[in-house]
Amino acid sequence: MLIKRKSREASHSRLQALASDHSSGMLDRRSFLMRSGLAVGGLAAVGATTLGAVKPAQAAMAKPGAPIELRRNICTHCSVGCTVVAEVQNGVWIGQEPAWDSPINRGTHCAKGAAIRELVHGDRRLKYPMKLANGQWQRISWDQAFNEIGDKMVALREKSGADSVYILGSAKFSNEGAYLLRKFAAFWGTNSVDHQARICHSTTVAGVANTWGYGAMTNSYNDIRNSKTVIIMGGNPAEAHPVSLQHVLVGKELKRANLIVIDPRLTRTAAHATEYVRIRPGTDIPVIWGLLWHIFQNGWEDKEFIRQRVYGMDLVRKEVEKWTPEEVERVTGVPGAQMKAVAEKFAKEKPSTLVWCMGATQKTVGTANVRAFCTLLLATGNVGSEGTGANIFRGHCNVQGATDLGLDIANLPLYYGLVEGAWRHWGRVWEVEYDWLQSRFDEVPAKAGRPARNRKQNMETPGITSTRWFDAAMMPADEVDQRDNVKAMLIFGHGGNTVTRMPEAAKGLAKLDLLVVADPHPTTWAVLGERKENTYLLPICTQLETSGSRTASNRSIQWGDKIVEPIFESKDDYWVMYRLAEKLGFADRMFKNIKVENKQPLAEDLLREINRGGWSTGYTGQSPERLKSHMANQGDFDIVTLRATKGPNQGDYYGLPWPCWGKPEIRHPGTHILYNTNLHVKDGGGTFRARFGVEREGQTLLAEGSFSAGSEIKDGYPEFTYGVLKKLGWDSLLTADEKATIERIGGANPDGVSWAIDLSGGIQRVCLEKGVIHYGNGKARANAWNLPDPVPVHREPIYSPRPELVAKYPTLPNGRQLRMPNIGATVQKAAVDKNVARDFPIILTSGRLVEYEGGGEETRSNKWLAELQQDMFVEIHPADASARGIVDGGWVWVLGPESGSKTRVKALVTERVGRGVAFMPFHFAGWFQGVDQRPKYPQGTDPIVLGESVNTVTTYGYDPVTNMQETKVTLCQIRAA
Amino acid sequence: MVKQARRLALAIAVALLVGSGIAAAQQQPTSVNPTASSVKEEQLLQQLQNVQGRITIPDAKAAVLIQPGGRDWRDLQQVSLRWIGAIAILGMLGVLILFYMARGTIPISGKRSGRRVLRFGYFERFTHWLTAGCFIVLAVTGVNVTFGKVLLMPLIGADAFAGWSQWAKYAHNYLAFPFMLGLILTFFMWVLDNIPTKLDVDWFRAGGGLVGKGHPPARKFNGGQKLIFWSVILGGVALSVTGLLLIFPFAGTTIADMQLAQIVHGIVSVVLVAVMLAHIYIGTIGMEGAFDAMSSGEVDENWAREHHALWLEEERTKAPAGGQRAAGPAE
Amino acid sequence: MATRVKFLCDADRCIECNACVTACKNEHEVPWGINRRRVVTLNDGKPGERSISMACMHCTDAPCAAVCPVDCFYTTADAVVLHSKERCIGCGYCFYACPFGAPQYPRVGNFGSRGKMDKCTYCAGGPEADASQAEYANYGANRLAEGKLPICAEMCSTKALLAGDGQIIAEIYRERVLKRGYGSGAWGWKTAYKETIAV
Repeated sequence: MLIKRKSREASHSRLQALASDHSSGMLDRRSFLMRSGLAVGGLAAVGATTLGAVKPAQAAMAKPGAPIELRRNICTHCSVGCTVVAEVQNGVWIGQEPAWDSPINRGTHCAKGAAIRELVHGDRRLKYPMKLANGQWQRISWDQAFNEIGDKMVALREKSGADSVYILGSAKFSNEGAYLLRKFAAFWGTNSVDHQARICHSTTVAGVANTWGYGAMTNSYNDIRNSKTVIIMGGNPAEAHPVSLQHVLVGKELKRANLIVIDPRLTRTAAHATEYVRIRPGTDIPVIWGLLWHIFQNGWEDKEFIRQRVYGMDLVRKEVEKWTPEEVERVTGVPGAQMKAVAEKFAKEKPSTLVWCMGATQKTVGTANVRAFCTLLLATGNVGSEGTGANIFRGHCNVQGATDLGLDIANLPLYYGLVEGAWRHWGRVWEVEYDWLQSRFDEVPAKAGRPARNRKQNMETPGITSTRWFDAAMMPADEVDQRDNVKAMLIFGHGGNTVTRMPEAAKGLAKLDLLVVADPHPTTWAVLGERKENTYLLPICTQLETSGSRTASNRSIQWGDKIVEPIFESKDDYWVMYRLAEKLGFADRMFKNIKVENKQPLAEDLLREINRGGWSTGYTGQSPERLKSHMANQGDFDIVTLRATKGPNQGDYYGLPWPCWGKPEIRHPGTHILYNTNLHVKDGGGTFRARFGVEREGQTLLAEGSFSAGSEIKDGYPEFTYGVLKKLGWDSLLTADEKATIERIGGANPDGVSWAIDLSGGIQRVCLEKGVIHYGNGKARANAWNLPDPVPVHREPIYSPRPELVAKYPTLPNGRQLRMPNIGATVQKAAVDKNVARDFPIILTSGRLVEYEGGGEETRSNKWLAELQQDMFVEIHPADASARGIVDGGWVWVLGPESGSKTRVKALVTERVGRGVAFMPFHFAGWFQGVDQRPKYPQGTDPIVLGESVNTVTTYGYDPVTNMQETKVTLCQIRAA
Repeated sequence: MVKQARRLALAIAVALLVGSGIAAAQQQPTSVNPTASSVKEEQLLQQLQNVQGRITIPDAKAAVLIQPGGRDWRDLQQVSLRWIGAIAILGMLGVLILFYMARGTIPISGKRSGRRVLRFGYFERFTHWLTAGCFIVLAVTGVNVTFGKVLLMPLIGADAFAGWSQWAKYAHNYLAFPFMLGLILTFFMWVLDNIPTKLDVDWFRAGGGLVGKGHPPARKFNGGQKLIFWSVILGGVALSVTGLLLIFPFAGTTIADMQLAQIVHGIVSVVLVAVMLAHIYIGTIGMEGAFDAMSSGEVDENWAREHHALWLEEERTKAPAGGQRAAGPAE
Repeated sequence: MATRVKFLCDADRCIECNACVTACKNEHEVPWGINRRRVVTLNDGKPGERSISMACMHCTDAPCAAVCPVDCFYTTADAVVLHSKERCIGCGYCFYACPFGAPQYPRVGNFGSRGKMDKCTYCAGGPEADASQAEYANYGANRLAEGKLPICAEMCSTKALLAGDGQIIAEIYRERVLKRGYGSGAWGWKTAYKETIAV
């Protein structure tokens, strides 16, 4: 009665037509169900019900005026790789539409993806190049910026060497941008080139690659739908990768799968688990070994899988024997019964997958953690088939791609190491002389008892990691294993608040002779420390304002089209790198095979160059044309298998997930699931990579009786060279051109030309024809003898809350890694001696929020996101809070055990964290130890929300393999402010 | 009452929840299945009367997911308040009409003497009319909120009604402040004259001169006027407090507080409107000579003697002091 | 049979990712401080925690419409509860009556001048002509007129939030619960639509 239509609205009876006429112009049922969210299948029940869809208006225009164009790009936040559909009108991005066809996100987004338009709209972006002159921000021209920066770089190079300029890249680059910066560093002459993978999954890459060959997620988000048991450990994808939960939860529902979350916090992900296991932070290895204890004890392991495909499991058994349920409970806090239940499910209700994120990797034992995870998967036979695998959720949108493309101190693009053969390989691709490249590197004098290095040796020595740049800037020059300290930072798209020990970083910044920040936002770098001069801000556009490809966590490569022209005076990465190379005098060499128009390099050409050199990792088949065709025909791909069932890309996996072997012409479909022996290699099958030799201590390292479907070799085999092909008589299948290329590369020793440096692609092509995989058919390693702990052992965190356990489980001895000393053992001993755990009794861990990403500058500048999280906070257990007189929402000081560090944040009192554990998100910056830094930002570029950075109170601790920092376990004290 | 009961229930439920939470933390269960133990709407509604959680935006009221209390409020607002209002206002009008028909205008029994006595000075009249004027506008615009939709809107159409109501709302909100000022002034100005005494009991016992015969003696204000005074002061304070809460919504109040404030405001308003109708009646057509007190401020001596004999005496004894002022009847 | 659109948030799917919130802000350029949609987490941090996305539920017998002193609400043929900002006087009554906290008010001035109420339109605009500039300025985009469903539901990361014909989304929910064997219920349905989804 009170609800009635008013007469004046009577003409707007939009849906009345629908009720009477079901046939005209409505959405069909499939689209409706897609929109409503029902998975395909089980539609019968819906059968005859009326559809809820509505009839499009005759003139379906969102806003009146000019026509609207739809452009596709990829969300620039996390690694899930959601397609963004932009509505563009008159060159302005006016709206977003769901990308229904994307098999990855099926129209959906998280808060960040749904608000991404504001990144381009945002008025808090850096608008033009700026520099600090006498402590004041000054607008300058691009020309002036390049001239001044270039001159200073050259001067530093003369004085302190090429290694004194640290080049920090970005996981937000496109693949082409990442590749270009790695190439830039090579041409400049340093290996100190890094990016965010260092602080998120460097330990994953090291651990996984050392186990079975490649450092990446083995399956995909979509494939989790096939799993019967899912363990998520050290990850909170509900906040960090929300769209991935779509696949996880649907799998959980349709398969009635077990979803087990093992985490110190009862996270948003844990809220949807069928089993939640709370552990003490920093005890991942005891938990895994505790699970394996039950598995081995009960004979639940996959014996046949281990026999055929795993090397060194016996050593693991010995280590696992120590982890009785009692010891596990003593160290981790998890009761034996729960461990047993989880172990039984994981081992028996298969396929099982293990998902992990930075909770596992950002540790002093990160690499060992990852190795333990892999070992659990191997022991239960859960690798290399549907629904199984190490589903490692990477962080940033292109952290996988940027890692692949070599933004790494120890690799050239596509995991070619720093050895001469690799340098020569890329020299051939780039068409530059090896000798010239070598001439670019420093000679390092003998220092502090260490021998000198000539240019070649320095060229083959890994650089300094991004986690240690400030140590490399501040330590005595003798301690830093290169010609001189780090004197300049050239930073592209990388926050300054994501690295631990910020009070030290602030001091390090003051030491630098040059600081260049190339980013859409000024970032923390612009306000941290007390710099007055020699600081430059270069406005870079987002990836939404340029074109290029990006590799999602599942290795699918997606091409993004420029949505709008870069706003203000911002420019894309390619242009800026070209201009800098031009100023430094090597642009012609660097862009020899790349089309450059108006100083703007062509992204497609960059990808083609990657294709020409990316044999090792199968980055060769993903030509720009194929990727664009995938983007244009997303709807053809199946949501579970990711394979196109129709259309021009029929048979391909979505985004040609690497490895996509051979040249694009042979149309390899890409590899949805790594090491999958159930498929022919031409269909994306594979085996564990024979990367570590053929034999060790009398035991074979090659697979035994296991091979990929259709293989002509029915057993393990080593990797292929031209010589091996000849022995098998398969060289006759090579074309004359291919042979000529191989012989040209091989020179005096053509038989030594391997599948990875054969630019003709002939070896790969022939191997695929024969159903074998050119990288060999080896065993995965449960014993990685080249790592500090060949079989992972538990080591207490540097700042352990349980000092009594340190004697039994100490950290590794001090050492030197990656040009820097690592004194973790000294710090750990001092912490025990001084009883730091008494004065700082609360374990501090850190992690993500759904609204923000990374260092958070972009997202905290986005009004739609910033409104949702307006204050930095610390989660604290009610018991700890009441003992300290802390109330929910009140201000507190969180005090760190190093440098007298402190942060002023709000308290969030919650049982999410256990007693004695506190959690802080890591996206905040702009306050430093209680002081608001807002006035220090260039005017109008300060993010809407500022707050203390958790890394102000995080502490020392580095993984010995990758120098990963420790962000997940340290100690703190909390007081009401 | 309802609210108090709810608060109590809430406190108990919270205590229960907190208690169980602590128990859980102390003896960690060997197995937690968050899916199986998911929270249910029914259970929360039963325990807490509303469903409240945590939200990241800094707006406490947004954390309330479902508040069924709105349903009760809607009922109070749409049904009870209208009935109360209708009964109070129409009832009072009816009573007055009947009374008028029965008694007509009550004359000054001794006729007008022609001699006038100053009853209310300029300031008193100003204060009265400030308060009264505001009250009338507030009453009309307030009644509009509750009854306009059914009474006025059908007559003038929805758009015109919305336009008028918008201005009515502004008037209501802004005139509330001078009204409150008038209220304060009235209180301090007349409170001493309005302290109830035994005379008032007698006055009421004698029917206040309205029923029956004879006028019981009264000082400046008789029992009836004191009743009006205290109605205005107490009702006005109630309206002011609840009005201020409504005008600054959620300034430290919850939604239940707001609902309560609105209902109290509404009920007190209609009752006060009814009381004021009687006041207006008696001050105008109900009684000869009464209106003079608030118009010119001077009343006929006979009227004064009849209704406020004691006051007249007092004025006379005081006369020499304030003599000049009281003695100019012919102006 | 006429269409009767509804919202349904499947709390067993909702992960509080807030996509619905920002999608709404983005689509309609909703200003800071106005939250047409929000996500509330119950039992936060405890086993059994659930998050629910909430906005105007477009109730049957809408309380907001009942208490509105100027009768600015109206219900469309497909049961979307809309309102006219031209008529709204910003009294705030709809907020007191609404079980779901849907109405929002911009703070436009001093006391009392609470601005015109704003709320979820089910992406169906307002009384002005469909897809007109005036409609967009007052109420945001009119997706329904374009044959699309509300953006919040369309973009929901886990497809927890369903929008569309009430019978169909109830059917989808029922099927989900049957398949997975659990469900914490269609939150708010009893209050909004005086019905529950029996499984």
